[in-house]
Amino acid sequence: MLVQQYLPIAILVLFAIIMALIVVFTSVIFGPHRPTKKKLAPYESGMTPIGPAVRRLPVRFYLVAVLFILFDVEIIFLLPYAVVIRQLGLYGLIATGVFVVILTVGLLYEWKKGGLDWE
Amino acid sequence: MLTESVPLMQAVVPVLPEMGLLLLLILVLMHGVFSPKESRRTVCVITGVGFFTLMVIHLSVGFNFVGDPDFSGSGLGDIVRVDAFAVMFRAMILLAAALTCLMSGESRAINRRVEFYVALIVAALGMCLMVAANDLILVYVALETASVSLYIMAGFQRDSKLSSEAGLKYYLFGAVTSAILLYGLSLIFGFTGETNFSRLGPALSALTANGSEGVFALVVALLLVLVGLGFKVAVVPFHFWTPDVYEGSPTPSVAFISTASKAASFGLLVRFFSIVWPAEMIPYWAGLLAALAAITMTLGNMLALVQKNIKRMLGYSSIAQAGYALIGVVALSDTELGAAAVAFYMAMYVLTNLAAFAVISAVEWNTGSVQIADYAGLSRRSFPLAIVMVVAMLSLGGVPPAAGFFGKFFLFSAAVDAGYTWLAIIGVVNAIIALFYYLTVIKVMFVGKAEDESRYTIRPRLAVVLWVTGVGILLMGTLASPWWRWAVEASQQLTVMLP
Amino acid sequence: MSLTPLHAIFALMSLFTVGGAVGVVLNRNLIYAAMYLVLSLFGIAGLFILLEAPFLAAVQILVYVGAISVLITITVMVTRCVFCKEPPPRQLTLVAVMAALVMVTLGFVIMTRFGGLTPAADVPADSIEQLGVAFVNPQAYLVPFEVASILLLGALIGAIFIARDDLPRDEEAVGGDDHA
Repeated sequence: MLVQQYLPIAILVLFAIIMALIVVFTSVIFGPHRPTKKKLAPYESGMTPIGPAVRRLPVRFYLVAVLFILFDVEIIFLLPYAVVIRQLGLYGLIATGVFVVILTVGLLYEWKKGGLDWE
Repeated sequence: MLTESVPLMQAVVPVLPEMGLLLLLILVLMHGVFSPKESRRTVCVITGVGFFTLMVIHLSVGFNFVGDPDFSGSGLGDIVRVDAFAVMFRAMILLAAALTCLMSGESRAINRRVEFYVALIVAALGMCLMVAANDLILVYVALETASVSLYIMAGFQRDSKLSSEAGLKYYLFGAVTSAILLYGLSLIFGFTGETNFSRLGPALSALTANGSEGVFALVVALLLVLVGLGFKVAVVPFHFWTPDVYEGSPTPSVAFISTASKAASFGLLVRFFSIVWPAEMIPYWAGLLAALAAITMTLGNMLALVQKNIKRMLGYSSIAQAGYALIGVVALSDTELGAAAVAFYMAMYVLTNLAAFAVISAVEWNTGSVQIADYAGLSRRSFPLAIVMVVAMLSLGGVPPAAGFFGKFFLFSAAVDAGYTWLAIIGVVNAIIALFYYLTVIKVMFVGKAEDESRYTIRPRLAVVLWVTGVGILLMGTLASPWWRWAVEASQQLTVMLP
Repeated sequence: MSLTPLHAIFALMSLFTVGGAVGVVLNRNLIYAAMYLVLSLFGIAGLFILLEAPFLAAVQILVYVGAISVLITITVMVTRCVFCKEPPPRQLTLVAVMAALVMVTLGFVIMTRFGGLTPAADVPADSIEQLGVAFVNPQAYLVPFEVASILLLGALIGAIFIARDDLPRDEEAVGGDDHA
């Protein structure tokens, strides 16, 4: 049956969960737990911390995530094409090429306008 | 291994406007990147001229090929259906986009940024496909393409709280209702296994012939679809976004949203109800839509009476106008004149709202205000602006010789034809009530006194918009029959099954 | 009918999906809610596998879990304090009643219309190949395929414009005296 082909994946997921649980709970159960005031203070590379511990994330990270989604969706559209690429020949290349070129034009525009700059 | 090769023309002609829009999009993007700084300011004129050219090409190609089944979409596997109805609505959308471009040159909120025109082109592309779509998948993709661009246009003025609120509200409402719409469309697909409208009609008929459980299932799917489409046309109870979006968004964005988006959504709605749903379903949706139309008209007019901000007033007015147009959709159940009435009304409405918003954008540029009180004495400060606003208000109110009179006349007579006389009476009463707030604007303009009576200058760009819309409204109002004939022919072609 | 391992797997995936969804709605900390959403999306991917749509399951994990959940988590971190509890939603009972109503109606429609739990129709073994061909076949879905790319382009440009920290480098205000 088709579904039995996924048995290795299921076993892999199970092992991953078990490993994660082992790693976390071993240190909780077997590690020494002797807190002092200095040990519980926030860690900033050994020096006295400057500024609040929790700050809002800059918006730049959000832009990166949005760009990632858009190009991830472009990739998944290319996946079925990749499976039949030889069958479709030149015509398929042109049709998919138009798809990719449209998005590349957008990328080029944003690149030139500084939309991709980090700072 | 692709199926029999299709002649290139048969595949290209049905989507010619979209291909032209794609080229315009790439042109605008390249212009934004590569042209020297001084000439970047011309992007609004370039895009406007591009849209005008595309509209002209589209109309000439459309009139040439309409009625020819080979060139109306069969080359693309019937995924689009470019009949006279689609040609008419596409022309409306392209005209609205062109005039919005010309109108946007003065907007401080837009500041002639290329991203606005990119969003405008993508929105127009989505809408052109929406009105011609013959397949559930294309309906959804085109709807989303148009909607996402409109969200961007609504929230375009980043430093304004109102604009950000407008964009966010529009987006949240739109995303949720679009998800509900998609669920309804997927239920329809699940019940029949078909996504193409031409095959859906017979398949749904077979379903309802089986008895009441089939009908109940279809009614649920229909309600879900109505949620999504009702949001786009701002029908009660999905109208809550309209006043805030109309008030907060930059004026050119509102001009486009209120005209092209409504026209495209009504085009889709009419096509959906005339082709997809079988005759047995009519009792279910006709009565419901009639009730919704009555409530929408009344609520829109009542709430518009108390507005002091002209954009917000036009927002509530557009809710009421959607109610009137919905009467035409109700009339669709019995007579094909319903579709013709909706098409004529939308053509009139596009010109009218564009005229109103052109005047609003000029006044906003000169005084920075959108309060009705600040329109006092406009007739002395700028007579052309006042006259165009008068024509627009008369048209919205349904007073001859403006086109709105014939628009409402055709709608109400279609309703009476279909047996919904009570709805037509409610419509007439509402039109009379609405006259109050439309005429108030005219009164303020001519009778009110302003402290500062300096004259305004009107740029050539805006003058083009004012001339086209003003003359168009009066032309449609006095010589209505060629337009009405076009609308009737369009609606007749809707239900003809092409081979 | 006898219980097969397939039923057990279906029950597990449904538990993930529905349980995760309930967790998203009821949890007061937004980051925990995002994690429950990830669980729910994995459950949906499992359901796709059970429906013999491996491509959709892969897409679900790649896009939804891999990109959209990350976006949701980053959005929460950008706009809200990460360790806070959000206040409970207002009108919770009304919303719950309406949601239950919708669920009962839709459930009734689906159960009667589709005749209960029947096995799905035969799915062709080369569904990905057929999908690939359908995307570029003008008689099939070429037009939505290309429109999807235009939609992505519009979203790309719009999203970057709306979410930018600064405005484009060469920006000037609209003057009043140009004749373009």
